[in-house]
Amino acid sequence: MDNHKPKQAKNLKGGMAIAKGRFVLGVTLPLLLYESLGIFVLGWALALMFFDYSSGRAGGPILGLGGSNPFVGIKHFVNMVNGVSLEARLFRTSLKNTLIFAFAVLPLNLAITLPLAWLLESIGSRFKALFRTIYFLPVLTSSVGVALIWMTLYDPQMGWINELIRYFGGKPVAWLSDPRAGFLGVSVAMWAVILAYLWQDYGYNMVIFIAALQNVPQELRDAAMIDGAGPWQAFTRVVIPLIRPTLLFVCVMTMLSSFQIFDIIQVMTNGDPAYQTQVMILDIYKNAFRYQRLGWAAAESFILFLIVMSVTLFQMRVLRTEWEY
Amino acid sequence: MAAISFPKSITVRMARPKRSSQKIGRFLAYFLLIFGLSFTLMPFMLMILSSFKTNVELLRVPPTFWPETPTLENYRTIFNDPKLPLLRFYGNSAFVAVFNVISTLFTSSLIGYMFAKYEFPGKRFLFGWFLTMMMIPGQITMIPSYLILSKLGLLNSLWGLVIFSAVDAFGIFMLRQFCETLPNELLDAARIDGASEWQIYWRVVLPQLGPPLATLGILNFMTNWNAYLWPMIVLSKIEVRTLPIILTWYNSTHTGQAGLVMAATVLIIMPILLVFVYFQRWIVEGFTMTGFK
Repeated sequence: MDNHKPKQAKNLKGGMAIAKGRFVLGVTLPLLLYESLGIFVLGWALALMFFDYSSGRAGGPILGLGGSNPFVGIKHFVNMVNGVSLEARLFRTSLKNTLIFAFAVLPLNLAITLPLAWLLESIGSRFKALFRTIYFLPVLTSSVGVALIWMTLYDPQMGWINELIRYFGGKPVAWLSDPRAGFLGVSVAMWAVILAYLWQDYGYNMVIFIAALQNVPQELRDAAMIDGAGPWQAFTRVVIPLIRPTLLFVCVMTMLSSFQIFDIIQVMTNGDPAYQTQVMILDIYKNAFRYQRLGWAAAESFILFLIVMSVTLFQMRVLRTEWEY
Repeated sequence: MAAISFPKSITVRMARPKRSSQKIGRFLAYFLLIFGLSFTLMPFMLMILSSFKTNVELLRVPPTFWPETPTLENYRTIFNDPKLPLLRFYGNSAFVAVFNVISTLFTSSLIGYMFAKYEFPGKRFLFGWFLTMMMIPGQITMIPSYLILSKLGLLNSLWGLVIFSAVDAFGIFMLRQFCETLPNELLDAARIDGASEWQIYWRVVLPQLGPPLATLGILNFMTNWNAYLWPMIVLSKIEVRTLPIILTWYNSTHTGQAGLVMAATVLIIMPILLVFVYFQRWIVEGFTMTGFK
């Protein structure tokens, strides 16, 4: 502004430093306050898991801990390992189901997304954008909507999936409610939610793979083809090694989001039949907000946190290595 | 394709056997892609078709594909249902999503800019703190956050839903990256012209951040619009609920009336889906840039 008289350079610098300092202080102080709240919430979460806490009871003076919400030490964790109560057994069931879900989703997802992304990359570009948009639609759809759509498809009488089975001469299945039906040792209800989740999710990994494949130099593929490699060999021997960092990253992200699956399962089965689709967050949710066992639920959350954290740390360790090509 | 640069004799020799196999390959590729496409579209299609069927037709076995007597009855019932003021629920969802987008864009750009362009003691420590907080999944803090809201009397309030997400560690990371690329000369020129630090942020830095803010904004909007677990915990009164919880509530109160439920699903997910499709470029960019969902 021109009404300011030019000052000496030194003065100007000093004034600037003060102004900068003020700005930094003005931003960091509220931020520190907010982040302290975060630490407080985290500390509370960590404290809760050592108490038999229920929000219905008054409890002790500090955050309602103690008193009628007694301190129980690591009892919750001991219970999780060898308890015989219903909640202890349900915890182990939900841990098992979560692992089944995650380890079924990951390979199936890769088996769909990687070839599709590769095909999409290899065809002419005229329809590419349209294809990608359509494949991406379910990712943008609310999981509740996805769950409701698939529930009508899985309907034992009127659903289209059973209609297809009948058309090919098979026996209809009560997909979401038959506790005895299973396939490869996993209940059909679990397969049903896995399929719905895959449908919702594959577009996401696809666009990531497409982005990675676009970065693979075309010359490298052509060189391999000229050297006599077929398209399949060019893919497995040249392209896959080049997109390895992305592949690893996608594996970890898919794993993490599968461990935290909730929406689709809560709407479609709510853990039924016979707790065959009870996954960890659903179990935590029910314990905390339906049965008021908040201490127990906090302990469960901590186990989930440990799992998620170890997958994340694994990712950070492995991905630290830089690949160059 | 690469064979073009080769001497002609070689091109001819290679191209012959390749062309027919390439044709088959292309055909196979299109076949698989279109198969996947119909698998992706079919559930949407069936949902829309079901919403135009009468309940009698929907109970029929085997199911019909095209509605035999297309009807708007389901939509009429929903629009005339006094217990389902859809506009109100749209408003609730819009409030939560818009408030979250505005607050996170403001805090992310401001804090990201500060981390990128200012030196101060404890900066590394503060940033490390963020890094740690970002990795903690929401489920672990869900229970105490709920208890805090209940102590503050903010359960069943849309404000309670938005206050915990006003600062987005991920957004701060993203905008710090972008702010680091801004030339220092630009900021210093503004300083010499007498602009205050806030003016620099507001008038000089913010206008440069258009693309990353658009990406972050649409990602956060989508996450909030589709959020289910946390709103379900916080909002138990019907009139303050957001759309996803309303949809499950409507489903549970209208069991056996698939036509109505599908019409409600169409009304609740389709309009915003079209908006997301329109902004798809930003969403995909955000996903691939960050791998964040």
